[in-house]
Amino acid sequence: MSTLAVATLHQALRKSFATLESNQKVWKSVLAECSPLMVSLGNLAEQSRALSNVQISNTPLRVFPDLEERLRFKLLEATDIVLGKLNEKMSSLQSARDAISNQVAAILHLYEQNTHSLDLLAVTERSTTTPSVADMLEWLQDAERHYRQQYPFLSSVLDVYVIFWYFFPLTLVFRFLRRKTLLQTLRADDLSLLESAPQRWNSLESPSAEDHITDTLCKVSFFVESQ
Amino acid sequence: VDEVRITNRKSAAITGSARKIKDNAADWHNMMLRWDRLNEDGFMAAASIVNMRRSCSERSAAAQQFFIASTLFLTTAPCVKTSCVTSFLVSRQAAVVTKMDRLMTSQRGVEDLEAFQFGAEGRKTPLFHSWSTREFGEISQVLLDSFRRELLLKQTILQEVAHTVTSDLCMVFLSGWLHQPFIPTQSRLRLEALLLETGHRPL
Repeated sequence: MSTLAVATLHQALRKSFATLESNQKVWKSVLAECSPLMVSLGNLAEQSRALSNVQISNTPLRVFPDLEERLRFKLLEATDIVLGKLNEKMSSLQSARDAISNQVAAILHLYEQNTHSLDLLAVTERSTTTPSVADMLEWLQDAERHYRQQYPFLSSVLDVYVIFWYFFPLTLVFRFLRRKTLLQTLRADDLSLLESAPQRWNSLESPSAEDHITDTLCKVSFFVESQ
Repeated sequence: VDEVRITNRKSAAITGSARKIKDNAADWHNMMLRWDRLNEDGFMAAASIVNMRRSCSERSAAAQQFFIASTLFLTTAPCVKTSCVTSFLVSRQAAVVTKMDRLMTSQRGVEDLEAFQFGAEGRKTPLFHSWSTREFGEISQVLLDSFRRELLLKQTILQEVAHTVTSDLCMVFLSGWLHQPFIPTQSRLRLEALLLETGHRPL
């Protein structure tokens, strides 16, 4: 009874680790593709800030009265394109996270179904090549939790960016309406927020947790390969 | 085989105004591509001027402090060289605009000819699919105007970029150079419409 349940669990664990490994690869490569996009977001915010700081009418560019408006529009357009690309990346991250979560939920469900036929020994027994069922379940849950927590952090950086970026032109309108005091503080804040988006993004990436998952995958590699 | 012969015959049959307009459309396409390439190179050169200018001002401050004239010369020499490169690239862009201007003149010529041939109401059947001859001129005029203004912007930036010290203004110069504020994104669509109408792109 117990050996059958353990064999079933082992089979499911192999599948789960395979899913984890492939989705970890996806996650890493998508994150790597995001970095240059975040850098361009930061650049665009910097350009936008420079444009706001410069009084065009006091520069040699005064012969182009509509320059500021046109350039701002172009910057918005460029940002739109980058944000669109980042959105696609975020949905790839989301589906990688969902694949891992679903797999882990399924294996925990399977474990719960079989608890009556699994005694403590069967769950904690391990060999040189096969870690115990309890350990492996724990590792899977750890990995799942990492991705589940990581995703909203990353997407929040983008959300904040989107909100400020699209409201930024509004703050210019308000500035025009001479509601200075409040909005000048807001302006300095939101622009630095926009410019620091890439740094915050990078700080959220947690290489140590990623390494931990890689370690886990190494620990189970013999187990996954043995059939 | 029949189809190929028909299309061949059709394209060979294009003469006069239609031929002229079709060739002009191809030239517009090539000119705009050349402009974009020059613009990219120009941006690189302008960006390196700004960077050099920044390090120049730091180093020349140090040089002046110690009265080292040769250092001053060494730091400004690459700046001057890159300025030359940039101004060469802008002059090439100016040449592109001159050619666009010529395309416009030839378009006006076609229109005048049509006015002479068909009177005020123009020709009955369109030259290609649906556009009247005047519409080609309108599109060319819009494109020409935007490139003219953009060229003026480039020339203004070129004059100022090496003498500007405030970093925000330098950033605005570079960002203006890169994003081409006077060439609207629709220009690309206008060109595609022109290419579709004249049969360079399959419908």
